[in-house]
Amino acid sequence: MERGGRTTVLLQERSSGRVLPLRHLRDHQPHSSPALSWNGRYLALLVQQGGRRQAVIEDRATGRLQPLLLPMGLEPRRLSLAPDGQRLALEVIAGGGQRVELFDLSGLLEPDLAPGQRQSGGGEGALQP
Amino acid sequence: MRSHRKPLWTGGLLLTLLLQGCQGGLRPLPNLNQQLARLGSGQSPSLGSGWLALIASRDGGRPQVQLIDGQRQLPVPLPGLNRADSLPIQVSVDARGEHLAVVRQRDDRTELVLYRRSLMAVQPLAIEPAGVPRQVSLSADGRVLAVEVSRGGLWQIDLLELP
Repeated sequence: MERGGRTTVLLQERSSGRVLPLRHLRDHQPHSSPALSWNGRYLALLVQQGGRRQAVIEDRATGRLQPLLLPMGLEPRRLSLAPDGQRLALEVIAGGGQRVELFDLSGLLEPDLAPGQRQSGGGEGALQP
Repeated sequence: MRSHRKPLWTGGLLLTLLLQGCQGGLRPLPNLNQQLARLGSGQSPSLGSGWLALIASRDGGRPQVQLIDGQRQLPVPLPGLNRADSLPIQVSVDARGEHLAVVRQRDDRTELVLYRRSLMAVQPLAIEPAGVPRQVSLSADGRVLAVEVSRGGLWQIDLLELP
């Protein structure tokens, strides 16, 4: 949404229409590419940090903001978070071209599992456990 | 009051970045990333549970929607979805890799379609009131679609319940 001329991510509860607070995301616009995990615990998005785009994840359960440090030379353009929050896909600009890269978040985030889903083993082949 | 918030946020972010750097940051998935590199230039990633949808084009060729099976680390066929007369702009996949929502350009107009993989069927989705779709996001359970639509110069978000 445009707020004060700045593209800002809002989180709205579908059942009530209520706009939920995002304590870390009042600034650092423009925001883009928001993605939610299964139960809405994690909100991943791109924010502006100085002259660069920065991928971050707000953990709404703990109130913690997790910046995601990319390997050198990768500029994020768009992201997608796996429903359980254990994988991240990034569209990046690197070396003048654009490509998609996948990353493991299992060391950073607890799983946000679908109702009735049990946690099981992962490995690289499982884009999501 | 407001002038104090931004430096604190920025300081917290920088500190976390430093700590994150010490932890090594994100862990790339090399085998899958090699597979993605073989598909060529990629954009518009969308993750499901064990699935990755994206738009890829090799050697400057026509972009195509691809769906990667995370277990086999290979693209799966999507018969009927990629057409010579259409250009995919954005794709979103549900958790099971059953539904793919695609915004694509065809015959000088932008359309929104839903692909059901088990049926190998493409279903156009009407946008009412009329507008031009840009971005699309399918819920993990595949039941709701959020679409960014341009109407009369305004960008709006439509929610569509899927059958």
